[in-house]
Amino acid sequence: MVEEVSDFEALEIAVRELAIEKGLFTAEDHRRFTEFAEHIGPTPAARMVAKAWLDPEYKKQCLTDAIKASLAVGVDWLNPTGFGTPSDYTDLRVLEDTPTLHHVVVCTLCSCYPRPILGFQPEWYRTPNYRRRLVRWPRPVLAEFGLQLPPEVEIRVEDSNQKCRFIVMPVRPAGTEGWTEDQLTEIVTRDCLIGVALPKPGMTTNIPLPVHKPAKPGHH
Amino acid sequence: MADSGNMNASAGAADGAANWTPVPLLEEIKEHGRVWEDLANQYGVTNPDPPWKTSLDGICEALAAGSCSSVAAAEKRWLDGKVDRASLDSPLPLLERRWEEDELSETLYQDVPFPERQLLCLAHSLIKRGLVNPDELAARMKAVHERLTAT
Repeated sequence: MVEEVSDFEALEIAVRELAIEKGLFTAEDHRRFTEFAEHIGPTPAARMVAKAWLDPEYKKQCLTDAIKASLAVGVDWLNPTGFGTPSDYTDLRVLEDTPTLHHVVVCTLCSCYPRPILGFQPEWYRTPNYRRRLVRWPRPVLAEFGLQLPPEVEIRVEDSNQKCRFIVMPVRPAGTEGWTEDQLTEIVTRDCLIGVALPKPGMTTNIPLPVHKPAKPGHH
Repeated sequence: MADSGNMNASAGAADGAANWTPVPLLEEIKEHGRVWEDLANQYGVTNPDPPWKTSLDGICEALAAGSCSSVAAAEKRWLDGKVDRASLDSPLPLLERRWEEDELSETLYQDVPFPERQLLCLAHSLIKRGLVNPDELAARMKAVHERLTAT
């Protein structure tokens, strides 16, 4: 347990209290959104992919109606918080990889992300560096994540926006024959679902990635 | 980029950090505040994020809800003649906050780790719009600190 109050902790509380007092949002809204933030994570999306690997009918539903398919993994996409629909959660699509096609997701505008089913973005996903460079040089940027794709694999970068969010459905890896849904869910990491990694037996965590600072800060 | 008040953020990239006026209070926190990584190491805590991270996420979500999800309802109130048109404008639109976070993250707060950096950027945006006064923020921080450390 940390037995001191940092300036940052005091700053967060002070900002929140003043914002509530000034009517920028209500204490009730903050409590509900914080609870939402505390319970979301990548597990539902991982389970969706694992189920789809095991069930061709469910896979078809994921690819044609991901919003409906998300109900099977406990996510009501159209009403994710349970107390209102943030307007940015409008559509969800699952991008199916094949042996010759690989998808990777970005938000070039800001940091749009399928939070109800994948949790909050990792730091690197928010950085302008990733957002600017991935669309221009996808193969080298993926290589920075340790993902070296052969030249014959086409890379398709999907740009998230206010109207649509994406998750990637990777190809089920070899060596997982006979695995249960729970076993498969464990290897579908957050990074696999964004498209910067591929699932592998034995790999159940994301690889820490150093955040690169831009040589020339840009402007939007 | 949308108008962002006195930050002159619509200037080009070449102007960089010069367009962002440091806020003394936030500079003080940046220089002397202890980040989670240090605290976690000292106290042997393994949580990757500080305990206030989800509350910060809640603040950002609540601010975004003010600029997005409640728009339809607010517009109806306006169309019904119950509120002024001006009241529909969010005090801190989501995209402006994110773009300012991008720019501040690459300039004034580039050496601050995440999520402390995100918090400083949010405070900076609120202060620069006059939504929060730095003096009252400093006073509130002091009060919060006293409250949390009271014995």
